[in-house]
Amino acid sequence: MIAIYLYLAGMGAGSFVIGILIQWGALINWMGVKLNPLFLPSIVLFGHTLNLSSVPILWGPIMVAIGAPFLILDLGIKWRFMYACLNPRTSWVARGFIILSIFIIFGLVLLAKSVLPFEWLHAESVLWRIPEIIAFVFALGTAIYTGILLKATKSIPLWNTHLLPLLFLVSALSTGSMAIILATLGTGLFSHDASALKVLMYAVQILVVIEGIVLYLYLSGRYRVSEQGKDSVRLLLHGEKKFIFWGGDVLLGLVLPFVLVSIAAFSHGNILLRLGVLHAGIKDQIPMHRLMEIQYDMRAMKIKENWNAGKGIGR
Amino acid sequence: MQEKVLVVDQQKCTGCRLCELVCSVFHTGASNPSRSRIKVVKWEDVGLYLPMACNHCEKAYCVEVCPTKACHREPENNNRVTIDKKLCIGCRTCIIACPFGHPFFDIHDRVTVKCDYCDGDPQCVRFCDVKAISFTDADKTNVAKKREAFLKYAESMKQIR
Repeated sequence: MIAIYLYLAGMGAGSFVIGILIQWGALINWMGVKLNPLFLPSIVLFGHTLNLSSVPILWGPIMVAIGAPFLILDLGIKWRFMYACLNPRTSWVARGFIILSIFIIFGLVLLAKSVLPFEWLHAESVLWRIPEIIAFVFALGTAIYTGILLKATKSIPLWNTHLLPLLFLVSALSTGSMAIILATLGTGLFSHDASALKVLMYAVQILVVIEGIVLYLYLSGRYRVSEQGKDSVRLLLHGEKKFIFWGGDVLLGLVLPFVLVSIAAFSHGNILLRLGVLHAGIKDQIPMHRLMEIQYDMRAMKIKENWNAGKGIGR
Repeated sequence: MQEKVLVVDQQKCTGCRLCELVCSVFHTGASNPSRSRIKVVKWEDVGLYLPMACNHCEKAYCVEVCPTKACHREPENNNRVTIDKKLCIGCRTCIIACPFGHPFFDIHDRVTVKCDYCDGDPQCVRFCDVKAISFTDADKTNVAKKREAFLKYAESMKQIR
C-alpha cells in the first residue's frame, strides 16, 4: 500500500512541478525561447465548457489526494491520523503530513478554479500566481519529503544520505514529465511536434540520465560507507533482489524510457505500442525501486540487529 | 533520584524465555510471548542467549521521529522512554528508527509498545531464576567489570614484583 502511495505521490508531484513550469514558461519569454503551451482543447461536460489547458497541473493534486489515504490505511489505528501533525519540531512524519495537506489543499483550490464555471473565478489576475507558487513549493516538498523521511533514519546506512532525497526528486520529475507526454500522446488529438512536447522529451532524457548518475553515486557511496551499507548494496546488485533491481529498476525504469523517448523524438511510429511500453516503464520504476529499498532495509535491520546483539557472533 | 536501569548478564541467561511470558502477562494479561516487551535473541549453534530490552537511550531516536509525541521521556520515572497508548497511531516509524530493533507492534491493540520498567518493578527481573537480568543503579552497572579489571591489574602487579 505504501508503494501505491509512493508511486501516486511521486508522479503527481512531479507532473505538477513540470506542468506549472510549462505554464509559467508559456507566460514569459524564458531565456529568449518562447514555449508554446501544450495545445489542449476544451470539452463540454454537463453543459459547461471546461478549459483543459492546464490538465498536467490538475491531476497532480488529485493523484496525491488519492494516494494519501493509502498512508492512513497503513496506520495501526486509522481514525487517529489527525494526531500525526502534533510534533513537527523533530519528526519528519509530522512535517510530511503538513506538507502533503498544504499541497493537496492548494492544488485542489487551483483545480476548483479552472473547473468551476463561475465567471469571477476565471479572472487571469496576478493574485492566482500566489497559490500557484505556494503549491509549486509544496509539490517540490512532496517529491523530496519521502527521501528526507528515509534519510532521517540514522541507524540504517543505506538510507542515511543526502543523495536519497535528490534521487527521489529526480525520479519524481522524470516520471511526472513522462506522464504528461503519455497523456498528450494517448489522447491522440494533438500534433506530435508541439514544441513544448519536444522540450519535454529532451527534459525526460536529461532527467533519466541524471537519475542514472545519481543512482550510481548513491549506490557506490553507500557501498563504501559501512559494513551494513555494503551488505545492502550487495544484496541489491548480486543477491536475491537483483532481478527486481536490474530488470525492474534499471531496464524498465531507466533504459527503456530513454530509448523509447529517443525514438519517439525522431520518428513517427506506432504510438500505441510505444505508449504501452512507456507506461510499463514509468509504472515499474518508482514503486519497485522504493518497495525494494524498504524490503531491503527490513533485511538490513535484521542483520544489524544480529550485529548489535551478538557483535557478529554466530553469523 | 538515582536512575535505575536494566542490566543483562548474557553469560547467565539460559534462554528459558520466562521473562517474555511474565512481561506479556503483566502488560497485556495474556500469556503470549509474541506480545512481550522483551525478546530473547538466540544463537543456538554457539549457545548464546541475549535478552534484548529497551536501552532507554539518552538520545532516543524513537522520541525524535514520533509524529504525535506519544513516544516521550519521563524524567521523574527513572528517566524512562515510554509510549502513550492513547496518543500512538501505530505508524511504526519508531520501529524503523530504533537501532536495536526494540519497539514492537502489538497486533491486538494496533499500537506500538515498548519496555516501561513495569512502573518501577520490572517483572523480568523478579521472575528470572538465574538472575541474568537485574535492575540496578545506573552508576553501578559496571561494578563487576571494574572489579574484574582491577583484580587482573593487581595480579599483574604481583607478577612484576
